[in-house]
Amino acid sequence: MVNVTIDDKQVTAPKTATIYEAAKLNGIKIPILCHDKKLKPFGACRMCLVEVEQMKGRQIPACTTPVTEGMIIRTSTPDIIKARKMVLELLLLNHPLDCPVCDKSGDCDLQNLTYEYKVNTNRFKDEKFHHSIDYNNPLIERDMNRCVLCGKCARICDEIVSFGALTFIDRGIETKIGCEFDDALNCEFCGSCISVCPVGSLLARPFKHKARFWALTKHTSVCGYCGTGCNLTLGVKDNKVLTTIYDENQGFHKGQLCVRGRFGYQFINSSQRLTSPLVRKNGKLMETSWDEALELVAGRLKNGTSVAALATPRLTNEELALFKTLLLENVGTKNFDHSAGFAHSALTEGFVRSFGESASSASILDIQKSDMLLVIKTDSYETHPVVGFEVNMAVKNKGVKLAIISDKRGKLSKLPDATTLVHRPGCEVAILNAIAKTIIDEKLFVDTASTVPGYAEIVKALSEFSAESVAAQSGLAAADIKKLASEYATAEKALIVFPVGQGYAGHNADLASATANLAILTGKYGKEGCGVLCLSEKSNSQGAVDMGFYAQDGGLNGLQILDACVSGTVKTLFIAGEDPLTSYPDRTKVKAALDAVEFLVVSELFLTETAAMADVVLPACSFAEKEGTFTSTDRRVQYIKPAIRKNAQTKTDYEIFSDLITCLGGQAAVTPAEKFSEIAEHAPGYTGLSHIILRKDGAFATAATKPAFVVPKATPSPATENGKFALVTGSVLYHNGTLSQYGEGPMHVCPEGYLELSRTDASAYKIADNDLITVASAAGSMQLKAKVSSRMPAGVVFAPYHFSSAPINTIWTGSPVTMVTVAK
Amino acid sequence: MSDVVAQQGTEQEPEVDLSIADAVIDKYIDIPGNLMPVLQGVQDEYGYVPRVVADHVAERLNVYPSQIYGVLTFYAQFHLKPRGKFIIRVCVGTACHVQGATRIVETFFDKLHIGHAETTPDLRYTFEKVACLGACGMAPLAMVNDSTYGGMTVQKVDEIVADYNQRPLK
Repeated sequence: MVNVTIDDKQVTAPKTATIYEAAKLNGIKIPILCHDKKLKPFGACRMCLVEVEQMKGRQIPACTTPVTEGMIIRTSTPDIIKARKMVLELLLLNHPLDCPVCDKSGDCDLQNLTYEYKVNTNRFKDEKFHHSIDYNNPLIERDMNRCVLCGKCARICDEIVSFGALTFIDRGIETKIGCEFDDALNCEFCGSCISVCPVGSLLARPFKHKARFWALTKHTSVCGYCGTGCNLTLGVKDNKVLTTIYDENQGFHKGQLCVRGRFGYQFINSSQRLTSPLVRKNGKLMETSWDEALELVAGRLKNGTSVAALATPRLTNEELALFKTLLLENVGTKNFDHSAGFAHSALTEGFVRSFGESASSASILDIQKSDMLLVIKTDSYETHPVVGFEVNMAVKNKGVKLAIISDKRGKLSKLPDATTLVHRPGCEVAILNAIAKTIIDEKLFVDTASTVPGYAEIVKALSEFSAESVAAQSGLAAADIKKLASEYATAEKALIVFPVGQGYAGHNADLASATANLAILTGKYGKEGCGVLCLSEKSNSQGAVDMGFYAQDGGLNGLQILDACVSGTVKTLFIAGEDPLTSYPDRTKVKAALDAVEFLVVSELFLTETAAMADVVLPACSFAEKEGTFTSTDRRVQYIKPAIRKNAQTKTDYEIFSDLITCLGGQAAVTPAEKFSEIAEHAPGYTGLSHIILRKDGAFATAATKPAFVVPKATPSPATENGKFALVTGSVLYHNGTLSQYGEGPMHVCPEGYLELSRTDASAYKIADNDLITVASAAGSMQLKAKVSSRMPAGVVFAPYHFSSAPINTIWTGSPVTMVTVAK
Repeated sequence: MSDVVAQQGTEQEPEVDLSIADAVIDKYIDIPGNLMPVLQGVQDEYGYVPRVVADHVAERLNVYPSQIYGVLTFYAQFHLKPRGKFIIRVCVGTACHVQGATRIVETFFDKLHIGHAETTPDLRYTFEKVACLGACGMAPLAMVNDSTYGGMTVQKVDEIVADYNQRPLK
């Protein structure tokens, strides 16, 4: 700590602080335009000028100057005020001053400072800027006429997002922010640039002219898409969610959001939302009353074990727990599951066996505290972009080493000094086993490892996974595998990250155990910056596991339930929020199951393909209309409350389950808050938590680890056949599950399914971007648009699974790698 | 990488052989801070920096394309459009100005039918006004590529243009 005097006030500040930070810490406000606490100091705008006595009264920027012992600083002398006024005069000189029609008005730093410093005349005269406005994309409007060249957008896009879409172009008075060759903006549309823009140069187009900033009510919430658990501030007016508002103090991610979080909210107020219960009469879905619909459903739920249920892990913990109560106690069935029954197996089987707990042994916060990150599949960025930002910052700012094992390259491979081992699809487990074997052979493991249960078995089982033999089957070099093994083992702290989800069938219990083995062998778990982080797919995937909403004690799992529908043992199927027709593997089988089942109930926000097949459709509520908790992928339990009033004709899933319990003669359910107290008593790690405690920041549910070695099965990757491609499925950056199809933002950027293939294959087959190509597997064939990219290795093709307009499960039956033919 | 040949350029950009760029990139690939020498190198080879080459450099050096464009537009030494074989530069600095540089400039404009920083359609000439060439004693001064012409007159402009019109383009 150093002692400094700011405006005659004796204060202390950390040695590393700048004058701006020291002042802020002590409650003294210094105006800024180009500074952002998340970015490196820049010193462009000169608004933060202060005088330092030791520097002979020179005016120096507070945001870039570090404090030193005994500094005497004055932040608002008449000279300083004069200088700041002139800075504003110069900034306003070419600015169009179109505040009345600017969406930033009311939330604009330039406007606020002009007001604060009373700049009502301008001594200078010059022409206004005449830059053309970039309206080329539907999400981000770029009006460089309003720009003050603070460079925050270019810096955040580089330092945190690591996309680098924007930069300073040209020179001198002609300098402006632009893209390469002054093109229209074409990026991943996370909108981080919008969030930090101090003026109205970068604006969210979906919000354009929707409401004045001061007319919005701000409601904090948690994003309903992926499992990262980002905090949101929803801007609400007239009971409509109109935008997301940036708050740099929100959540571990400091307000950073991805394209889904920032631009994917439109599903909440979509005109396609279901507004009335529907019942099938004479083959047609007809509007009906809740009483009739619930009575009909309750009548069918009396059939005990012939009832089965699938729920989406986008439901809250309270809803899932209540649904489980309904099924177990009031219906009397154990047949329920979520996420196609396999997307959670890394947690519910893999980690349970390896760590004794169905949770990751690390948190997202460990990423920046680690020394080395081992990422399985570059898709970790696409599935969890905000986690990807953490990786970017770890690698770029903290010098954390990044190694990636993946079947294709990706954005993460472009990070500085990242090593990407691109292997033949489906070999992940074998490669991890080879790394484990190398660690054992080269005695790089910790002493305690040999006392962990299963050590002898794992040593024996790994004997067939020599680096050489695995290298041969995976297309890697043995030396690379060995190098990675020694890097991982010798790093002081190392963290393994892998995504799971319905598109990642290979990321299962075996993969989880294979990663866990590495952590246990080298003692890299249970401490800061170490462990294995499984990125679960949906907003409450971890919660669904914690609530035990998956097949246990002989209950049928997701895929078995569908089989049982075909065979007739399951006669009533209750689907809460899932869309198996699009997202479960093997569309033919799912279709047959839904056709065969006697009675299908679907509670949903939209009339999805699955809902359209139902006998009863119950209109449910989105995350913005209900109260409850979500548990993020690293077990941070967070509280959500309604941001808008729900449509009177819809019910939250909590109310639906509660009503059904009453219909079945059970006791009416308690409030969600009381339900959570019940959960806290039973769910491991939730002890002591309550809605009141979680209201502010949420809290981590603790996880205790009991390590054990488990032999993971490595399924051999399918043999390469001449003329056939290895199809791998997964998530695309802009989407999450099937819900994002109803978000305008994600759909503008990525409106349909596609098949991504390498340049080599594209030129061999004379395929160009957007060509319609026929993709066929043993299961079927379909047409997809081609996307030629530099990241795919030859012989491997990738397709995202989110789209009901082009359901990839037509050709994908649930195996991690599917052999397909491609023809133009 | 070197087998990749850009299929389409923009209208001004004919097909570009990227293997030339690759040769330059290979020379500097392992050197930190290699962006400037690579861009200078490719400009030497192509005469300007075609867009496909800029994109290719971005991909190979793992630098954002936007950043490359920022560098290209910041420095006056880089050119984004094809340049003439003969670069005519006429000094309009103080000494040359008082010696009548304006008339020299105008005569070149009339003769070549191009303005400042423009290139003739046959890619023979690019004309530039420059602030000072550092030889005020020879004012008014012109340069064609590396040859210097001091004490310029309107007649000398005719002679220079006639001379360079005869020289082979290839």
